[in-house]
Amino acid sequence: MSVAEAAALDDATLVARSRDGDMRAYEQLVRRYQGPMYRLALRIVGSTGDAEDAVQDVFLTAWRRLGQLNDDGAFLGWLYRTTTNQCLNVLRKRKPHADTELDEHESPSPRTRPDRAVEVNAQLDALQAALRGLTPEQRACWVLREVHGRSYDEIAEAIGTTQQSVRGRLARARAQLAEVMAPWR
Amino acid sequence: MAVTSDYVLPCGRDVEEVWEAIDLSDEHTRSCPHCAAVRESLLVLRDATAEMVQEEIEPPFDLVSRVMSAVRADVRRSDVVPLPGDGLARISTKAIAAVLRYAADGVDGVRARGCRVVEAPESTGSDPVIEVELSIAITALLVTHEAYDEVRRRVLAAASARIGVRLARLDLVVSDVLEG
Repeated sequence: MSVAEAAALDDATLVARSRDGDMRAYEQLVRRYQGPMYRLALRIVGSTGDAEDAVQDVFLTAWRRLGQLNDDGAFLGWLYRTTTNQCLNVLRKRKPHADTELDEHESPSPRTRPDRAVEVNAQLDALQAALRGLTPEQRACWVLREVHGRSYDEIAEAIGTTQQSVRGRLARARAQLAEVMAPWR
Repeated sequence: MAVTSDYVLPCGRDVEEVWEAIDLSDEHTRSCPHCAAVRESLLVLRDATAEMVQEEIEPPFDLVSRVMSAVRADVRRSDVVPLPGDGLARISTKAIAAVLRYAADGVDGVRARGCRVVEAPESTGSDPVIEVELSIAITALLVTHEAYDEVRRRVLAAASARIGVRLARLDLVVSDVLEG
């Protein structure tokens, strides 16, 4: 199987092959989704080390539980759910004072466009800082919806709550973030 | 039911109402300083969010290889069969094979060679079942016609008595005949 062929395979095919123990098929899935899962984890947990560990655990757990996935095409939604859960668990286990161990000075994003306006960078940094002021569940709701574009239904399932509660948390998160962003008006 | 943020402005509107009408600024929003200020903040938030969506953060270059190493290690570990009980204790198929080969070796004129152990499809944590393919070399002068039944009997007994798993199927293959 050439790389080009493998890249063209759909999720359901790769999931079915992975379930039969085909590790090359699974590696394609990992390559395909490591980016969005890593970015999601980083935005929820706030530190690169924890994000890496979370994503590694998520893909290992997913491999072990492929047999429990009823709909092979639903792999991505399932990954979003598992990653969110994993990150919330990491935050629950973290001691309250451990927030100081976050990458305070290390922006989660290596700046790849140095010519970007300083003000835009400052706004983005302010948003990242403001996200840390939310509760973990609020932050997860907001990031899943506003940055990763997931459905309310999916987010409710990931957080283990109702759609109505997701909408409430999003509204509160938005109001709080807007307040912190006010100086940039 | 309308969603509220519980952040109510002095004019009585909820921040979420301002957000929902952000692109349709009505008469009130235009004239109300509280709504106008919040609307500006929400617009800043919207811009910063769009920047975040575009952010080019890549995972560490070795993340895929680390995941796949963990998966491969897991596959190796999964070469195990549950032991009877709570399903938490497991035994490697290689360890089972060693016990069964030793049992077969106890029969005069028989030397166990390869022993492949797999978990049977009907196996469960509370009732582990295995299938075995055992190849043996026999010494023609020493072996008797009862030897094969004896190998079968000893291997079956070792599986249940020494390991505690049920042997549902034993394929016995004579792979070599030794002189002497």
